[in-house]
Amino acid sequence: MAVYKRGYQRYGGPRAPHLERLMVLPREAWRRLMAQRVVTALLALSCIWPLLCALFIYVANHAELWAGLDRDFSRILAVDSAFMLTFMKVQSVFSVLLAALAGPGLISPDLGNQGLALYFSRPISRLEYVLAKMAALVWLLSLVTWIPGLLLFVMQASMADSGWALANWRLGAGVVLGFWLWVALVALAALASSAWVRWRLIAGGAVLGFFFVLSGVGVLVNAIFRVEWGDLINPLRAAYGVWCVLAGAEMPAGLSLPTALLALVLMGTVLSLALERRLRAVEVVR
Amino acid sequence: MTSRFRLRQALLIARLELKRVFLSRRSLWIYALAMLPAVLFLAHALQLRYELGQARQGGAVAPAVLEAFETGMSEQQALELAGKPGQDRERTIRRSSRREEQGKEIFESREVRTRRMVYFDGSRRAHLWFEDGRLRSKEIHAVLNFTEDREVYAGVFQYFYLRLAIFFGCLGIFLNLFRGEMMDKTLHFWLLAPARREVLLAGKFLAGWTAASAVFTAGALLAFAAMLWPHLGAGAEAYWQGPGAAHAARYALAAVMGCAGYGSLFLAASLWIRNPIVPAAVLLLWEASSGFLPELLQKLSVLYYLQSMCPVPAPMEPDVPALLRLILAPAAPLSPWLALLGLCAFSALVLWGAAAGVRRIEINYSTD
Repeated sequence: MAVYKRGYQRYGGPRAPHLERLMVLPREAWRRLMAQRVVTALLALSCIWPLLCALFIYVANHAELWAGLDRDFSRILAVDSAFMLTFMKVQSVFSVLLAALAGPGLISPDLGNQGLALYFSRPISRLEYVLAKMAALVWLLSLVTWIPGLLLFVMQASMADSGWALANWRLGAGVVLGFWLWVALVALAALASSAWVRWRLIAGGAVLGFFFVLSGVGVLVNAIFRVEWGDLINPLRAAYGVWCVLAGAEMPAGLSLPTALLALVLMGTVLSLALERRLRAVEVVR
Repeated sequence: MTSRFRLRQALLIARLELKRVFLSRRSLWIYALAMLPAVLFLAHALQLRYELGQARQGGAVAPAVLEAFETGMSEQQALELAGKPGQDRERTIRRSSRREEQGKEIFESREVRTRRMVYFDGSRRAHLWFEDGRLRSKEIHAVLNFTEDREVYAGVFQYFYLRLAIFFGCLGIFLNLFRGEMMDKTLHFWLLAPARREVLLAGKFLAGWTAASAVFTAGALLAFAAMLWPHLGAGAEAYWQGPGAAHAARYALAAVMGCAGYGSLFLAASLWIRNPIVPAAVLLLWEASSGFLPELLQKLSVLYYLQSMCPVPAPMEPDVPALLRLILAPAAPLSPWLALLGLCAFSALVLWGAAAGVRRIEINYSTD
């Protein structure tokens, strides 16, 4: 048959399951993330603090190592909610830095090369596209957040007295739940900036700016007006408030669980709306 | 070619670049960042003036009257002592309590009549809280507290302005000078001009520094003026005739030198590294953790020199954990002139490194 007589027809062969097809996106995104040496380097750097915390737990559980020191030292070397919250605070900063490096490359190339129409002409919804792109970033951020946190909890539980894990189960649950919430917010911010800012460089700066400048603005409002509601526009502080409740620690003054959660949900909603507005299968070029 | 000719070339490049830096839409967020403290201090000043006006409308009592209120006294006694309050609000709330009786927890809920009275003595305000007709608590605080406001300004300047606003503002301005042109695919026009690469670098740095210094110094001074405004006639004049003017000058100097220090670093980073976000993130971490580093390493941070220029040391954040407080050892500050000299030398050294970078720069638009 002559070539010109061959009409286009729908593919009728075997098709992979929907989830398997969808997993191509995070797999590919992950491969590209890991190809960036700087992401790998920062990932390695992010493991230093958990390692130091592991060393802390080891020292705290071996009283013979500091037997000659001040008795008050045992109070400082306690593995409690304050220890876990400090760990979470530091790792949350690393997670933002990682998202600033890794996040901008996830959506902006698809947008810049008018690739969204190609994605959405396949049986992939916008939500699935976002979730698939997010999955790669969430996995990357998990490696520096709740996974090391959980490992630290398990390490302490195995080294401390038998009843420690039961008495402090909230620390383990808090580190996992708190970081899930945080990772979702950071990933959303990274994807939104990637969708809105075409240049990766500026998009990375926007992610850093969202978290650090907004935190600064929150502190600024609190200091100038002598109020405490500035914490609600501070993502780091609002998340910290939620972590405190989850870990069973005292909440910072001026914050309550409903308001902190509401602030985080509002931020997430704004970022999701920004993402939704930008991700369209068609683009009008004027 | 004389050095005078090269200087003229650099100034010309700076003038051309200034228009691009100042009048671009990309710089709007930097103006917002720089002016935010001024706007907030202004809003606070307006709020204070409004509160003072409201308090004065209610009439002032003698200062000794505010001290005479004692917990446990009745509403009637308070009214006899001080007369009609400036503000008076009554409401009924439901309060629940828990008590233990014979090993059982008993929850009770009852209605409580509350009343809040506010008295003003011309400078201080007393909030009295009554429950069921008895004074439960009183809070007296100065409406205008100049010392506290100055401390707040010092904290805002060092924690927000230097660490965040100037840092991110310079990141935006100085990255845009070379990397922005690379992304706009316009850098080759500059490289085709008959000017040495170092002259181009000097011109661009000068433009960035001028723009950043103008924006951030104006922002810092406006915020300082807005902080002083509600205190005019109540100590601000004496402060201004005393150390106030010198303090304002030192804050302005710190802002200018902050732009020079961070600007030179970001400019060099944009020439040496393809993704300058990496050195920016590293610098952010370095500067944030400088207080925990040994004294010698602290002197390798821009913030150390900038803090030495500030007239008032920054207050420590209250929620720093005990272990971190233990290892926190800020180095002794330098004299402001030595800090200025140190930062100038540091910026010159970084720019010298940037000059080496600009000499080897090659345009490859496809990779950016």
